[in-house]
Amino acid sequence: MHGTRGLTGQNDAVSTDTARVDTFPKLLLRNARKFSGRTAYRHKDLGVWQSWTWPQVLDEVRAFSVGLSQLGLKRNDKVAVIGSNRPRLYWAMCAAQALGAVPVPIYADSVAEEMAYILDHAEVTLAVVEDQEQVDKLLSISDRLNRLSHIVYDEARGLRDYDHTRLSWIDDVQKLGRERLAADAACAAWWESSIEAGNGSDLAIMLYTSGTTGRPKGVMLTHENLIVSAINGNRFDNLGPNEQVIAYLPLAWVGDHVFSYAQPFTAGFCVNCPESPETVAEDRREIGTTYAFAPPRIYENLLTQTMVRMEDAGRVKREMFHYFIRLARRWGEKILNRERVPLHARLLYGLGELLVYGPLKNRLGVSKVRLAYTAGEAIGPEIFRFWRSLGVNLKQLYGQTEASVYITAQPDGEIFAETVGKPNIDVEIQIAENGEVLFKSPGVFVGYYKDPEKTAEAKTPDGWVHTGDAGLICPKTGHLKIIDRAKDVGRLNDGTLFAPKYIENKLKFYPNIREAVVFGHGRDSVCAMLNIDLVAVGNWAERNNVVYGSYQELAGHPLVYDMLREHVDEVNRSLAEEEAMAGAQIRRFLILHKELDADDGELTRTLKVRRSFIAERYAPLISALYGGANEADISTEVTFEDGRKGTLSARIKIRDLAPHPVRGVDMRKAA
Amino acid sequence: MLGPFLETLIGGLLTGVLYSLVALGFVLIFKASGVFNFAQGAMVLFAALSFARLAEFMPLPLALLLAIVVMVALAYAVEFLVLRRLVNQEGIILFMATLGIAYFLEGFGQTVWGSDIYKIRLGLPTNPIFLFESVFPGGILIDPSELIAATICGLLVLVLALFFQVTRVGRALRAVADDHQAAQSVGIPLNQIWLVVWAVAGLVALVAGMMWGTKLGVQFSLSLVALKALPVLILGGFTSIPGAIVGGLIIGAGEKLAEVMLAPVLIRTFDLAGGGIENWFAYVLALVFLLFRPQGLFGERIIERV
Amino acid sequence: MRAPSAQDVAAGELLLSVENVSLAFGGVKAITNVSFDIRRGEIRAIIGPNGAGKTSMLNVINGFYNPQRGKITFKGRTRTRMRPYEAARGGIARTFQNVALFKGMTTLDNIMAGRTLKMQRGFFWQVLRVGPALTEEVEQRRIVEEIIDFLKIQHIRKVPVGKLPYGLQKRVELARALAMEPDLLLLDEPMAGMNLEEKEDMCRFILDVNDQYGTTIALIEHDMGVVMDLSNRVLVLDHGIKIADGVPATVQADATVIDAYLGVGH
Repeated sequence: MHGTRGLTGQNDAVSTDTARVDTFPKLLLRNARKFSGRTAYRHKDLGVWQSWTWPQVLDEVRAFSVGLSQLGLKRNDKVAVIGSNRPRLYWAMCAAQALGAVPVPIYADSVAEEMAYILDHAEVTLAVVEDQEQVDKLLSISDRLNRLSHIVYDEARGLRDYDHTRLSWIDDVQKLGRERLAADAACAAWWESSIEAGNGSDLAIMLYTSGTTGRPKGVMLTHENLIVSAINGNRFDNLGPNEQVIAYLPLAWVGDHVFSYAQPFTAGFCVNCPESPETVAEDRREIGTTYAFAPPRIYENLLTQTMVRMEDAGRVKREMFHYFIRLARRWGEKILNRERVPLHARLLYGLGELLVYGPLKNRLGVSKVRLAYTAGEAIGPEIFRFWRSLGVNLKQLYGQTEASVYITAQPDGEIFAETVGKPNIDVEIQIAENGEVLFKSPGVFVGYYKDPEKTAEAKTPDGWVHTGDAGLICPKTGHLKIIDRAKDVGRLNDGTLFAPKYIENKLKFYPNIREAVVFGHGRDSVCAMLNIDLVAVGNWAERNNVVYGSYQELAGHPLVYDMLREHVDEVNRSLAEEEAMAGAQIRRFLILHKELDADDGELTRTLKVRRSFIAERYAPLISALYGGANEADISTEVTFEDGRKGTLSARIKIRDLAPHPVRGVDMRKAA
Repeated sequence: MLGPFLETLIGGLLTGVLYSLVALGFVLIFKASGVFNFAQGAMVLFAALSFARLAEFMPLPLALLLAIVVMVALAYAVEFLVLRRLVNQEGIILFMATLGIAYFLEGFGQTVWGSDIYKIRLGLPTNPIFLFESVFPGGILIDPSELIAATICGLLVLVLALFFQVTRVGRALRAVADDHQAAQSVGIPLNQIWLVVWAVAGLVALVAGMMWGTKLGVQFSLSLVALKALPVLILGGFTSIPGAIVGGLIIGAGEKLAEVMLAPVLIRTFDLAGGGIENWFAYVLALVFLLFRPQGLFGERIIERV
Repeated sequence: MRAPSAQDVAAGELLLSVENVSLAFGGVKAITNVSFDIRRGEIRAIIGPNGAGKTSMLNVINGFYNPQRGKITFKGRTRTRMRPYEAARGGIARTFQNVALFKGMTTLDNIMAGRTLKMQRGFFWQVLRVGPALTEEVEQRRIVEEIIDFLKIQHIRKVPVGKLPYGLQKRVELARALAMEPDLLLLDEPMAGMNLEEKEDMCRFILDVNDQYGTTIALIEHDMGVVMDLSNRVLVLDHGIKIADGVPATVQADATVIDAYLGVGH
């Protein structure tokens, strides 16, 4: 009977009682009752894991919150939260929300100037920060922030001798709160009534997004936005109170706010805060997290580290590793997807689990991970598949701050490396005329703080939000595929969608191609300029006895042209498989005689191609590509390593390709 | 064929354990003070002599206790009279000092305890055990006293490893082994550490001496055991405790196998006089190692893991 | 940065005084008739060109060298000969110019080795790891963990220090010295071989140690900017002779100091 009650209780956590329990402080009160024996937070400090149950968290937050109100914090005030993932900074958010104030997390590594802008724009009156470093930053700009009246810090080291008239240690704030609670019996009731006064439609948090251009914008999200999205996320992946997550991503990132705050509050699972940013891997292993999330970069780094370590290992170990990794690449993903796999492969894979995958996963701290998400940007298909082949259920998620994270995600068993999955529960998506992905969901943000103009740009009157990303929906699977930034997507003269970065990435997937620039917007067809990768092609030349004297000579070698032509042809074939892209196949290409270089202004300092600059600089080549000539002369000014300038001339050949027939249609017929 | 092979192998391994024990004494002192203690062999002889002669007058446990006292006193004397005065001297000078100690101990031991061959009787069972009689014709013969000796040695090694790894003194010893100056600067007194190391080396010598003495009788040639420890050290690495153990086992088993398996073949093939392989096999093996892997099996990389 | 002012320190209690110390190796004079003092709570810099006798001075203070002449009074007790471990017992900790760590041991074990003098329980209990020894081990471990936290080296707790990059090794060495809870901390070029960021971190740690634990610090440093930022008083040596002694601003303006650093007739 007890079991049955527990079960309904959980269902109730997931859906029905959100009508009432519609803010985070209310969820805290509920969790303290419902999950009274469960651990809510852990923090490794001085080498030991400290832990707090939900009732203990309630006690801490209550004291903190009452203390903050003693410091003068009121409804609708904005509270900056700056620092790494520590329990007390998460509690600060809840403590502020209990008073109706709105937390504004800020990236802890921002410089004082960046912080000054956000603190000023958000009209922050109180800041809760991690340590002396952050206090120093705020003090250095405090003369410009006349609204900021108080700073509260978590870590007291080095701050003892500071002037404490407008500065307090969290312990002292909590003491203030506890004294007040002890002195005034009505205070606890007052505090709970303050929570009751809150509504789901109240502002829960403001997250400033560091847009690629212009000033950061303050995305306003309500309690309901976050709570409904989190509950839907929990349902989508069947997350319950037994999950363990490690909180290590910036507090100001919407991902962290949902994964380490909204989801644990709604599902009742435990958030583990690492000892320091450097110990995350070890701490993760100690805790045995079951639910993980990271930007692709982290999965990539872990893979690279593993590979490097293996190259240093003894021969037997190394060969064993490579053998089983090959085996995993072949069968692992099929096994994870519960496809049919021959018995011998299954047995060998089992042996691999024992000898390689198991120990490796343990080392990486993912042994117990039931579900891992990658989000934030596109993950390389190789890296994605590597993790899945080890038996880690890594999935892709597509989300935005403006959506309270969830737009689409890959459901279990429907994993395609190149898509980002299906719309989450209650989310609708559509593709606009220009290819841009639009969505509508319960998590859609209220607006940008104090910026109705930008809000109107992003959000249509009937509630659709522009993601700024161009995408298409795979006809076969119904999954969303993101192809480019919407503003970069153009059209050929016949109206075909032209997504340059998408095509370029496909080209750059080949190790022989270092850089690719494709043209097509406002033209009749797609043409490409390629850069060879000197290391890869140089190796190939050595193996095949191709003699060359310079980069220019190698780049112009007919055999190299043949090889790259095959790559381009393969890219065309894959483009032909997608109806919307089939018209954008590459019809002509050339190989540049020099590497595109940031020193020559062809690349940005972050090594992104500057397409329009290149089009201008290599205008003769462009006109040859589109004029039908078989070769063209080019002469450019270059900057050498030592800073000298010179001119580089070359005659460059152009190759043609025949387009593949559109295959997408056939596939559907066959199916 | 397999039966005799196994029998030889096991016999060799049991002898090897004793080699290990002697080599261990070397390693301990070398690690902690960088001194190659040439006197380790003489210490084995001295310890065995002391024990054998004392055991003639008193019950074994008391003799053992007194022998331990003698070895600790010896360590104290060495530290106080020799090492303390040679702090910061070159390695070669310290080596010469241990050479002096070695000859002094050999002579002094005989002066005090006499120079005959003395028997140590520990009352260990001597009836051979036969194993796997059902598998091999005649089974495998094992001398139980050797088995017991090996077990005792194994236990000693385990205790030492534990001592090094988990105790404060062990940590201090490792610290001294790593960096003398730094160890002094955190307040580890070098003299006391040396005292401890020499005492431990003395105890190890006592156990080794007792075991060898039981087997061969206590006589002057016991000090030559030290020379057998040299190839063991070269195989295992001078600074590695696991190296000393594994090296001892390899040499022990290797020379027995060479004597029993290789010698007849050599004699038949080349019409040699035969015999004596046991005497030089270890050194040739060491030579091969010096040529191809001079840092030993457990080179510097293992040094930290005692 | 915020080291206590010179006035605060001048009033401070005398911790160490060096009087007319001379040290020679064979015929070579390393230190000639140098006198100076260190007061409780101050950060005292010792600077000078290469071969000025700075490291020799530290070695004299912590007993690696015994001077031929002169006397040293530490915490009111004068001594002529002293062994390094006696200096350690007396409350002097130090780090070395070229990092002298126990390379085969982990960070944790290195710092625990710094607690050697603070552990009292007998050897027997130590071996068994029970009873009072266990409680003591736990207590010692707690103090060590605080230092680990203080110097932000949690992530390398279990790494053998030989495998660490140089900058981190220097930090572990500082941690080991701090574990001794010294009255006087001698730092021999704590920032040598570090990049700018590591230097800034180390500066901050040194100030924090001084601030938080009230540890008196004597440090040798080449970077004049660092010396000016960190120290309350500066002692300048050249060829084993004291050529200046005072607050940073005075010393910096001193003509002999400029000569010693830049050569006469600049």
